[in-house]
Amino acid sequence: MSHKRLYYQLIPVVLLLIALAVWLQPDLFQRAAGINLPKGVNPEFKQTLKIDKPCVDLHPEWRLAQNIDGVKISESRLCEPDNPYDVAAFVLGMNNISMPTLMSTNIAEDALIKSDDLDSDGDPDIIHIKLEVLELNGATPDSANVAPQYEIAPGILPGMWAFSPKLRGMSVKNFRSVKLNAILRAPSPVIRIEQGDKVYITLENTHYFPHTIHFHGVDHAFKTSKGGDNDGVPVTGEKAVMPGKTRTYELQPRHAGTMLYHCHVQTDKHLMMGLVGMFVVEENRPNNWVQTFNVGAGHVRYSSVAIKEKYQREYDLHYQSIDKNLAKTIQHSNDIREISKNMHRVYNMSESNENYFLLNGHSFPYTLRDALIIAKPDENIKLRVANTQHSSIAIHIHGHKATITDYDGVEQNPAAQITRDVFHLAAAQRLDLKLQTTNDGLHSYGEGVWLFHDHVETAVANDGMSPGGNIALMVYENMLGATGLPMIRPDALDDFFTNRYYAKKQALWGKKEAGTFSPNSLQLILFALLLGTIVGLIIFIVRGLKGAK
Amino acid sequence: MKAFTLFLVFISTPLFAAMNHGGMIMDETGMIMNHNPDILPKDCPKISKDIDITIRAGQQYSKDFAGKMFTYDKRDWQVPGCARVNVTFINDDDIRHQFMIHGLPGYMYPKGMFTIEIYGKGQKTASFIVPSRDYTYYIHCEVSQHTEKGMKAQLKVGKSSGDLNSILGLTAALTPDIYPINNTQITWLSMLISFILGIVFILYVGNFLRLKLGK
Ligand SMILES: [Cu+2]
Ligand SMILES: [Cu+2]
Repeated sequence: MSHKRLYYQLIPVVLLLIALAVWLQPDLFQRAAGINLPKGVNPEFKQTLKIDKPCVDLHPEWRLAQNIDGVKISESRLCEPDNPYDVAAFVLGMNNISMPTLMSTNIAEDALIKSDDLDSDGDPDIIHIKLEVLELNGATPDSANVAPQYEIAPGILPGMWAFSPKLRGMSVKNFRSVKLNAILRAPSPVIRIEQGDKVYITLENTHYFPHTIHFHGVDHAFKTSKGGDNDGVPVTGEKAVMPGKTRTYELQPRHAGTMLYHCHVQTDKHLMMGLVGMFVVEENRPNNWVQTFNVGAGHVRYSSVAIKEKYQREYDLHYQSIDKNLAKTIQHSNDIREISKNMHRVYNMSESNENYFLLNGHSFPYTLRDALIIAKPDENIKLRVANTQHSSIAIHIHGHKATITDYDGVEQNPAAQITRDVFHLAAAQRLDLKLQTTNDGLHSYGEGVWLFHDHVETAVANDGMSPGGNIALMVYENMLGATGLPMIRPDALDDFFTNRYYAKKQALWGKKEAGTFSPNSLQLILFALLLGTIVGLIIFIVRGLKGAK
Repeated sequence: MKAFTLFLVFISTPLFAAMNHGGMIMDETGMIMNHNPDILPKDCPKISKDIDITIRAGQQYSKDFAGKMFTYDKRDWQVPGCARVNVTFINDDDIRHQFMIHGLPGYMYPKGMFTIEIYGKGQKTASFIVPSRDYTYYIHCEVSQHTEKGMKAQLKVGKSSGDLNSILGLTAALTPDIYPINNTQITWLSMLISFILGIVFILYVGNFLRLKLGK
């Protein structure tokens, strides 16, 4: 009996210990800072750190001005200049180039046929063009990665599509590589033809979804000469071009200017995926061989006769945006039914964002490799600007004011042309700009490395990580290095050419991030001992009461 | 003595007024507000002690304080009541900083403040006389967010009225930031072992007692 009382007497002790435990309860998962804040840590980055060279400089010989099969190709001092053999092939047509030139390209022999000087003015007037549909960074059943791989910026590989001139051979650099040949890239290539040419454009649908081509602003009849679909809209014309099928569209543009072409199937998605490109109709001139494709847009290494009359250089600037959620819809399955459902029905574009912003298929810092505007003082430079984003763009070139000569491929009355420093383009609009490098305090403030970018600030970041997006540079030749990079502060680009920076795993300005407190081990151990004591005591009491008579 | 003080007040006030505007001495390098080397507070019959302090302000002094940006080289000062404090304020940054002290008697320091502000690198010296009461005066730089990011100090007079909060290296914030604790498996394992040890310990002691009681 007396034993039982002893056990009962222990109960208040248990309660007291519980009260003590509650009072001494340590912070288990988070703690308020006292006098000292946590020391700070570098963000944890689990992937292997990759540091790119700003310029890999694979083909320095491509930069030179050169004559290939009689085509005088201008110098292109970019880090990644266009392959001059491709340029020669695009000027002459695959049927007019030499065998060595053909062997230096990845273009199919029937991709571009130029023939029949109908008006006897020294250039071909019947042009046959064949386009394929590329997928970049799509799903693969053989790896957790995407394939074939196309980085728009370090470590950023969104799923994309692009039209492409018909190719031949391997699309990747070699059997062991997942990296694409330079010709397989975003954006869809700029197509250039001469005013009055009879152009036959065949879509060879190499992709797993149906597509079409619609020519936006380019003079074309509603139906082909044989009564086929010629506007590319499945609602008003024929059904879409199914996978494995082809369709030929016919054009004979009477009006010159900067236009567009794009897929018109599930247009919202397919356009944003990248099936949209610039379409330039050059003014008719004698002996006017035009560079039919400008792959990757940017510098035009062989301008038309009419452009050469007025300008020293010409650049095609294709602005494009990507919704990362749309881009993901092609990256998670190899079942086309699943992909179709995820892209066309689960994904809802009315709830979309634009996360990546590209100029000529790259986002900063990769724009530095191939999207520079290179200039010398006292030049006239032709810029053809197209906005294929959802959102408007407001392009600003530091240190310069340029003149808008054409809106949507229509020349503005010269007396009414506007010179300004922000160029606003709504979705699908085009502007032709005359950029003068006369250092007169108005058109130019002199030589330099001048940023040019969209002033809609969401667009100068890669998924919100700045600097990125469509930032590029206008570089005067006296400040351009041998490998096509600007002469800037040597450490200026160090942060950006890593996969860590755009994964948002690098604290800025050399500062660390706050990180965590370490646990107060002694307090935790004492607390656990106390809890153990309480539990032990309860067991002791319960067992004791049961055993006591 | 009192007559002498009154005389001082009488002669110094107009003289001083001649070189400042509303208690301010200004030039292109900075500003001193309510400089007072000689007017005694009502409760001080005389200056108890002359104390020279040098206080440096700058970004560099925050180096040892993770997560902060601006501070003074020393943030805790002690003087006796009725002391004359001669402050040499040095700004080591290229931007503006202030030494601003609040809570002084309003009848001699308009708005209760004494301030030295320096517009860039440089230094200025000025004085103020504290009353006799035990009190902790609040010192800070009021350039936007400088106080909050570390540039805050205190001047304790006599026994003081305790420490102010969020003085770097001295006191915690009133509204502290919360940080996660970096627990590892060792944390949990050592807690578990301690817990079991606690149980075993009590049962062992209990059994020992029970055996004794049983006898
Ligand atoms: Cu399509
Ligand atoms: Cu300050």
